Amino acid sequence: MADVYNWQLGRTIPYPYPEAHPQKQFAAVFNINRCIGCQTCTGACKATWTFSRGQEYMWWNNVESKPYGGYPQHWDIKILEMLDAAQQKTGKPAQWDTTQTDAKKPYGTYNGLTIFEANDPTQQALGYIPNDAEWRAPNFYEDTSTAYKGDNLGISTEGASLPEHQTWFFYLQRLCNHCTYPGCLAACPRKAVYKRPEDGIVLIDQSRCRGYKKCVEACPYKKSMFRGTTRTSEKCVACYPRVEGNDPLSEGVPMETRCMAVCPGKIRMNGLVDIAQDGSWVESPQHPLYHLVKVEKIALPLYPQLGTEPNIYYIPPRWAPRAYLHQMFGPGVDQALERYAAPSRETLAVLQLFRASQKMVFRYEIQEGPLVHEMQIKGKPWQMYNDTVIGFDSKGREIARLPVVEPIHERPKERLNSI
Amino acid sequence: MLKQKILILCALLTLAALLLWFKIPVASSQGPTLIAARVTDALPSQDLNSALWQQATALEIPLSAQTVTRPMLLETNVKAVTARALYNDQQLAVLVEWADATDNSQMVRIQDFRDAVALQFPIVEGLPFVCMGQQGVNVNIWHWKADWQQDLVAWQDMNSVYPNMNVDSYPFAEGQNPAPSDYTDANYVPAYELGNLMATPHKSSVEDLTAGGFGTLTSQPLDAQNVQGHGEWNNNQWRVIFTRNLTSAETEDINFAEGKMYSLAFAAWDGANNERNGQKSTSEWISLQIGKPAPVTKVTTADTITATPPSPQEIAIPLGLIVVPLVLVILVRTLMGKDEEPSE
Ligand code: SF4
Ligand code: SF4
Ligand code: SF4
Repeated sequence: MADVYNWQLGRTIPYPYPEAHPQKQFAAVFNINRCIGCQTCTGACKATWTFSRGQEYMWWNNVESKPYGGYPQHWDIKILEMLDAAQQKTGKPAQWDTTQTDAKKPYGTYNGLTIFEANDPTQQALGYIPNDAEWRAPNFYEDTSTAYKGDNLGISTEGASLPEHQTWFFYLQRLCNHCTYPGCLAACPRKAVYKRPEDGIVLIDQSRCRGYKKCVEACPYKKSMFRGTTRTSEKCVACYPRVEGNDPLSEGVPMETRCMAVCPGKIRMNGLVDIAQDGSWVESPQHPLYHLVKVEKIALPLYPQLGTEPNIYYIPPRWAPRAYLHQMFGPGVDQALERYAAPSRETLAVLQLFRASQKMVFRYEIQEGPLVHEMQIKGKPWQMYNDTVIGFDSKGREIARLPVVEPIHERPKERLNSI
Repeated sequence: MLKQKILILCALLTLAALLLWFKIPVASSQGPTLIAARVTDALPSQDLNSALWQQATALEIPLSAQTVTRPMLLETNVKAVTARALYNDQQLAVLVEWADATDNSQMVRIQDFRDAVALQFPIVEGLPFVCMGQQGVNVNIWHWKADWQQDLVAWQDMNSVYPNMNVDSYPFAEGQNPAPSDYTDANYVPAYELGNLMATPHKSSVEDLTAGGFGTLTSQPLDAQNVQGHGEWNNNQWRVIFTRNLTSAETEDINFAEGKMYSLAFAAWDGANNERNGQKSTSEWISLQIGKPAPVTKVTTADTITATPPSPQEIAIPLGLIVVPLVLVILVRTLMGKDEEPSE
């Protein structure tokens, strides 16, 4: 066991292998607020990677409706319960200490147990193997909200209003987090799971895997899956040929994955961030992911308390109960929502880059435009500028140029109804 | 509990090291001996009830839970195996029997784990670490798998466990229920494409493997798979026969010769208890004597017979060199807390 630094938790955690970080890390930001639950992402992954025999139940990408939905069923409740049971034994509550925050611990320090600390000593990490019934029917509870309180017809007379809706659900888009300290990798006794030094993508070597399902057991996000026909485990490959720039469409530059690129809700932005030797993100203020995760901190890791340092970041849904969001995304939620509700001039421009190109954006520039709107948000003045954001690919070529205000093109009156 | 077991193990290993240091040859006094009985007939490689098995003396070998490296097992379900061995001019056959209340012979569903049993032989002189050998001291492992046995009857596939499963089609594959080999583009079954034996139709229910320490277990190539197996579950008991030619041309295989003594260890997995990899029950090294004892001290492979038997000192020093650092490593790790290397 080595001690490794997990910046999402603001402290070191035990891990079977010492720190050795990739040069770049595959990462993404998902804006939950915009997701329409269309499952286009889910279908795109399926049609690309998991349409063969033995993979019928596999959804490397899935979108589940929270709070009830989950694929496999109740995966998060189950692992959180296990974590809690171990925590109870310590006699101390799991807490975030947010009194001190800095670049090395942007959300403060988590004092509770992670899956690498709550495990029994016979295992490398805390975990469980969901059975086939749990993986079946991934859309159980889809679009199911919490019950409306107050009217026996279940219909609200006042509607809903922010900051918290009484009746709520939201979509959670999930794929492998290509974690910095993967549970799957830690648990594989054969070292068949590896993290690529060039992009941090976590893969299972299909020639070495012997189907022990230790990775299935130890991945807290349940994103390593067993294939009954080959008797080996498989997982999201981060569409690595696209990330490598080897897809014929990509013209040799890194391209966003299938599930990211197809998103009609434009909720996803995928990229590669530079990683320093100590595992921190190299300062690059004009990288859109760096801006959203590190500068503005409006995108947060999913269940950071599990300890694996996941690399998919979420802009939390504005309408969900805060306690639920704190459990899911940690203590950064309040600030993230505040900043997302009244985005800075720069953030508003960066948000336009979502789905502006299939190629990964490595840098953006902003050309200032005129003030177009002034209003009050939560009693504070807020201005909107029609700036233009320009995105560049890995070779510094322009790949996207978008204004904040979408241009409106009106159909001439005489053609109003024509198709 | 676990710490205690590790401490006991350390104490035993230290004792072994001291015995060796003081030139007390543990090697020749080590464990019980399984004596392979010579027969002239063909070996009963598929016949569990053959009268020939009565000619071999049964030896009960105790197993204990693997608690050296993670993942490990705390309590063992397979407390002992009973072994018998026969040989003739060409082949060696080992019959292993153990109690198991359930037959776990399929691996298609996510929650399925197989019953299995393995024999392990050192392939160079000297006794390597009993769990998977160690770096530079390889072991040859014969691993019988209940699901592979079942696969020989009919390859177990999705429709074996989900007969009513409905799928519209499988692109790039032939037939309605394509097995891995029916894919026109094998990239869609990568484990098969890469020759992973887990995904490849089997020639035998036994996999022939090599290991040289934790995490190094490697299947021998498909054309070097030369151990045959036959197993049946009945009346809460598994009975499994391993058969192989006495000699093998493969450098990673053990070779046997009449009159010689070899080392052997057993491991067993109870699928119903989710046992796999290092979560297993293992024996200590025991001796395997092929036929009548020859008047030489034990050696471990036929290839390494020397004209004069090695002196206890010759055995003790290399063994001490192996055992003492190992004990130190385990002691240090035990003292430092939970920090084992991954296993198998
Ligand atoms: S999400 Fe799970 S499968 Fe993916 S890297 Fe993390 S632990 Fe491994
Ligand atoms: S990154 Fe690629 S492999 Fe992974 S979930 Fe998305 S589409 Fe599937
Ligand atoms: S494609 Fe986009 S909008 Fe549709 S479900 Fe997936 S993440 Fe949500």
